[in-house]
Amino acid sequence: MGEKLLMKGNEVIAEAAIRAGCRHYFGYPITPQTEIAHYMAKKMPEVDGTFVQAESEIAAINMVYGAASAGARVLTSSSSPGISLKQEGISYIAGAELPAVVVNIVRCGPGLGGILPAQCDYFQAVKGGGHGDYKMVVLAPCSVQELYEMTVEAFNISDKYRILTMIMGDGILGQMMEAVEFKDKEDIISPDKNWATTGTQMKREHNVVTSIFINPEVLENHNHKLQEKYALITENEIKVETYNCENADIIVAAFGTVARIIKNVIKMAEKEGIKVGLIRPITLWPFPERAFQKYADVPKAFLTVELNAGQMLEDVKLAVNGKKPVHFYGRMGGMLPTQQEILDKIKDILK
Amino acid sequence: MAYNLKEVAKKPERFTGGHRMCAGCGAPVVVRQILRALKPEDHLVAGSATGCLEVSSFLYPYTSWKDSFIHNAFENSGATISGAEAAYLAMKRKGKINQEGETKFIAFGGDGGTYDIGLQSLSGAMERGHDMVYVCYDNGAYMNTGIQRSSATPKYADTTTSPAGKAIPGKQQWRKDLTEVMANHHIPYVAQTAPIGNLKDLYEKSEKAIYTKGPAFLNVLAPCPRGWQYNTPDLMDISKLAVETCFWPLYEVVDGKYIINYKPKNKLPVRDFLKPQGRFKHLFKAGNEYMIEEIQAEVDRRWEALLKLAGEEA
Repeated sequence: MGEKLLMKGNEVIAEAAIRAGCRHYFGYPITPQTEIAHYMAKKMPEVDGTFVQAESEIAAINMVYGAASAGARVLTSSSSPGISLKQEGISYIAGAELPAVVVNIVRCGPGLGGILPAQCDYFQAVKGGGHGDYKMVVLAPCSVQELYEMTVEAFNISDKYRILTMIMGDGILGQMMEAVEFKDKEDIISPDKNWATTGTQMKREHNVVTSIFINPEVLENHNHKLQEKYALITENEIKVETYNCENADIIVAAFGTVARIIKNVIKMAEKEGIKVGLIRPITLWPFPERAFQKYADVPKAFLTVELNAGQMLEDVKLAVNGKKPVHFYGRMGGMLPTQQEILDKIKDILK
Repeated sequence: MAYNLKEVAKKPERFTGGHRMCAGCGAPVVVRQILRALKPEDHLVAGSATGCLEVSSFLYPYTSWKDSFIHNAFENSGATISGAEAAYLAMKRKGKINQEGETKFIAFGGDGGTYDIGLQSLSGAMERGHDMVYVCYDNGAYMNTGIQRSSATPKYADTTTSPAGKAIPGKQQWRKDLTEVMANHHIPYVAQTAPIGNLKDLYEKSEKAIYTKGPAFLNVLAPCPRGWQYNTPDLMDISKLAVETCFWPLYEVVDGKYIINYKPKNKLPVRDFLKPQGRFKHLFKAGNEYMIEEIQAEVDRRWEALLKLAGEEA
């Protein structure tokens, strides 16, 4: 058994990154994730790592590009408006096939919006917020313990596939204190980064890390290669939690903190004789389509509950593929749905 | 007419009370006084980068600004106000502006939004020559998000991203000299000022900046009780010490000519400015004297360089 501590979500992300072997962090202040930077500023010097506060989010993501090119395990973190600024770098990192981890502790938008929790960056994360045909792995933890485990996992996935992995939380997760149990030793995969620009020592051909391919045939091939990689990740890396779905009257789809609210709704509904199931996508990309297909014939209807105007809803509809109606309930602007609100919606649908 | 605070204070308030800035914060004092320099009949379009000033004075649907106010993102106050100014000029040219008095344009930003992320936008606005003023209220860190270091933070200051510990004693870099950066844009008016005494220096420079045709830049010291860790009633004293130690000289650059507005008769040692501030507490521990010596040497070097630019002898 490892060490069990009461810690704040943001600090756990930082601690987990260090435990996963990340020694390079580049950040910029923005609420509600700045504690990640604070933690890194204190801890990185102790582990002989690098903490740099950049002059902007754009600078931070490009520092990530630089460090990742040299083969380092590297992290940056921000919140919605800052993640928007990083999109150019994210697209370049995708093009250059660099492994890196980005944390988005989402706040409500659009624009400056507010600092309260939201899930309104789902589209930006899974459909490609930057330009070009690219994907990144998007992990959606729902507890502080999962923030720890998935941060370590994110570095492994990134290194394994040379891809950017995003950890998408919200202000609740980032700011909340919960017990977290650390392992004594992390399972770290460390593939040979023989592509990295580490200096040839005049002993090998030089490596090239780039996202520019002027020749159209070459660029098309490069894009095919990326798509093959994305297909491979879709085959191997989908994570999903299904709960209470057998014989469910209705199945709710929810990710992140909302899924925790749903678990309480399930208990409330049970008392009234309604069987509610939950499908919680843990990887938002690749999306767990098969879990929905598996249960598509079970309930009378699906309901997706999100802190936005209905974004994952589209992916759920694609996965259910018309077999059952897919309803939606969402709150925005930092408002959270109560258990009763959701239960009322469920009853309304089943009427 | 000679400056008279009593008279100036009688002008209608354009930045009203009820905002949520902290007690003992320099920024609202600075903003009120700058806006007093506007002629009462003139209109204002003000903008602010994201920061304490913006989130505390403009929480929709509340506002402390009597004039038009635009907030855009963190990095683009300069661009946003230059856009508004360009639109105003176009409408004026087409005869669509029918009002008494002129419309003036002022962009505000803290040091994070000005020295760091907003520098590109500020530089562009100044170089293009918009008839506007950019005011940086410099409190020397990202105070709004919880006191992270910026490129305006003084060396060795303790912040949440440059924590003073055993291995690293606070921020490791010297502060960027933004006033000089802006002077080297060769725009009509650049000034450095601070809220001290009867606020005459701040008022007169604001008036010049606003009524000089073309781009103008004001760098205004705005102490922060949270980040600097001083007692809130000491705002004006801290500000004065910054000037009396020549940590923050009062000067202006008018069409390329440097004028030092205040030369302390007895330049105080910089430790007098550092001592009342919690962020420099570790500098006063035994064995850390070298840090104060280094800071003193840098303050002296920059002050002498400024004297030289103004054609004065030390």
